[in-house]
Amino acid sequence: MISLAGRDILHGWGKFVLTGVGLGLLIGVTLSMAGVYRGMVDDAQALLDNSRADLWVVQKDTLGPYAEPSSLTEDSERPIQAMRGVAQAAGVTYLTMQIAHGDKDVRVMVVGAEMGEPGLPGQPTHLISGRQIVRGHYEAVADVKTGFAIGDRVKVRRNFYTIVGLTSRMVSSGGDPMLFLSLKDAQAAQFQKDSDAIVRQRARTDANPQLNPPGNPAVAQAVAAIQSGNSNVNAILVTITPDADPDEVAAAIRRWQRLTVYTRAQMEEILVQKLIANSARQIAMFLVILSIVSAAIVAFIIYTMTIGKIREIAVLKLIGTRNRTISWMILQQALGLGLIGFIVGKIAASLWAPFFPKYVLLLPSDSILGFVAVMLICTVASFLAIQAAIKVDPAEAIGG
Amino acid sequence: MAEGIILENVVKTYGSGDTAVHALRGVDMAVAKGEVIGLIGPSGSGKSTLLKCLGAVIEPTSGKMTIGNQCIYDNGWKVRDLRALRRDMIGFIFQAPYLIPFLDVTDNVALLPMLAGKPNAEARKMARDLLDALDVGHRAAAMPSQLSGGEQQRVAIARALINRPPVILADEPTAPLDGQRALAVVGLLNDMARQFDTAIIIVTHDEKIIPTFKRLYNIRDGKTVEETPGHHAPEPSVAS
Repeated sequence: MISLAGRDILHGWGKFVLTGVGLGLLIGVTLSMAGVYRGMVDDAQALLDNSRADLWVVQKDTLGPYAEPSSLTEDSERPIQAMRGVAQAAGVTYLTMQIAHGDKDVRVMVVGAEMGEPGLPGQPTHLISGRQIVRGHYEAVADVKTGFAIGDRVKVRRNFYTIVGLTSRMVSSGGDPMLFLSLKDAQAAQFQKDSDAIVRQRARTDANPQLNPPGNPAVAQAVAAIQSGNSNVNAILVTITPDADPDEVAAAIRRWQRLTVYTRAQMEEILVQKLIANSARQIAMFLVILSIVSAAIVAFIIYTMTIGKIREIAVLKLIGTRNRTISWMILQQALGLGLIGFIVGKIAASLWAPFFPKYVLLLPSDSILGFVAVMLICTVASFLAIQAAIKVDPAEAIGG
Repeated sequence: MAEGIILENVVKTYGSGDTAVHALRGVDMAVAKGEVIGLIGPSGSGKSTLLKCLGAVIEPTSGKMTIGNQCIYDNGWKVRDLRALRRDMIGFIFQAPYLIPFLDVTDNVALLPMLAGKPNAEARKMARDLLDALDVGHRAAAMPSQLSGGEQQRVAIARALINRPPVILADEPTAPLDGQRALAVVGLLNDMARQFDTAIIIVTHDEKIIPTFKRLYNIRDGKTVEETPGHHAPEPSVAS
């Protein structure tokens, strides 16, 4: 038996392929939405991987440093360092800001990391060119996505920094590329006040007799020094010794340092379950709506194609074609449309993914799932047309 | 001469009670194999209902129908699979050719034997032989849209004949054709009826072809009257 669906498709292949391409672009958008979600999760994982930390020590009762603001003194690092099971501890600061680059702004996450000892948690990894920061001030390492090049000078707050190294896949959970500075520079960028604010604060201090007792200017000078100090960090990243249990070390830090500590699994949960949860729900809604729209479009196309062939279907039924054969023809056409749509959608999503401002991760498993979903949607969508075809009375082929 | 189709007291009533419509009120008809007869009648006389009963598309209310010595209806269908009955024992020719637009000429004709389970190659050979016999073999690879009206009608006739049915029902097959072509089609159907030993019933309003029938059934108010073509009174024109 010949393939009636195949012949019908070949007969009007231009229309069929164009319809498939239209559907494919919609499927491409759907796959891209899934890719955006996967990209967000992957960015979150990359952020945790690249920090090379086993534990995140943050301000008590906060979800810092990524999901909530967190501030603690960098002095907290030393007692943690001395605890059993702790291999390394290093303070870090995170600050998202706009940086001018040429005639446009680049949104970056400025990371302040301790650069003294190589391999400390928080330092930039995946260096693809250039070198690490070796000077105490005014050097920076940037992710390639910033668009900066080695030798570029970029302005962060009041100071200029020279790009000395480039990394890849060093991004925040929001997908912003990272710009690494030494911890001192980053603290200055994050906590240093502008000149006017300093002047006003000094005036307030000078006007306060308790902070500026008459005849003892050293007190006011000491207060001013404390006020302009930048010794806070957003978190302390901790690595543990191979034989240590992260939960036990975390429990010990919580108990003795009275700080909040998160293990890798807990931090992953904060990032994925809390930080990007709303975005994930938003994307899931889009996926559901796009699936419904795709199903409606396929159903409409297949139904219209079937209704356009009512006379032929009546003739086919009159001359003895089974309902099963006609239903199979319609289903094959719906599946064919889905197949073309999926292929076009997959190609389109792969082609336009690099142009998205944020990372779009197209996983093979999502593609397989998408293909199964498209075929299911097409099968369901063809029911309406099959129903219409089954209802066609062979008598319609006979006049009168 | 073997009988192609026999109808005995076939009744078809739509609805029941006061609203019942008696479309056929006891139709008797017999057409031998190799014979071509005309079926005429004014609009609303029951022609289409009779054609649908003959085509096993609708079920009569009562009566008896025999096709090729097989009783298919005797106050109830006597065959289980009406679809297979239509495919194997009845050929259809419509007012318009109604060829399947996405199949080429050969496959339009070969589709029926394929549906009956014949291998594609064998079905296509049967179709090509028949198309040759109907002088459209040279258009075997063409699509229906590439054929002239006359060629399309010949292909439709080939499709009706391909399974060698005992009876062919032709519903106004000459309606879209001019006088010469209409007569040519009737001539062709007469030739095919003899060559393939099949009974052909042509439902028509076409006054040009009525004189060509040896026998004519006139259906009025749901009953058939056999007439000789020479004594057939033309139907009153709508314009008059």
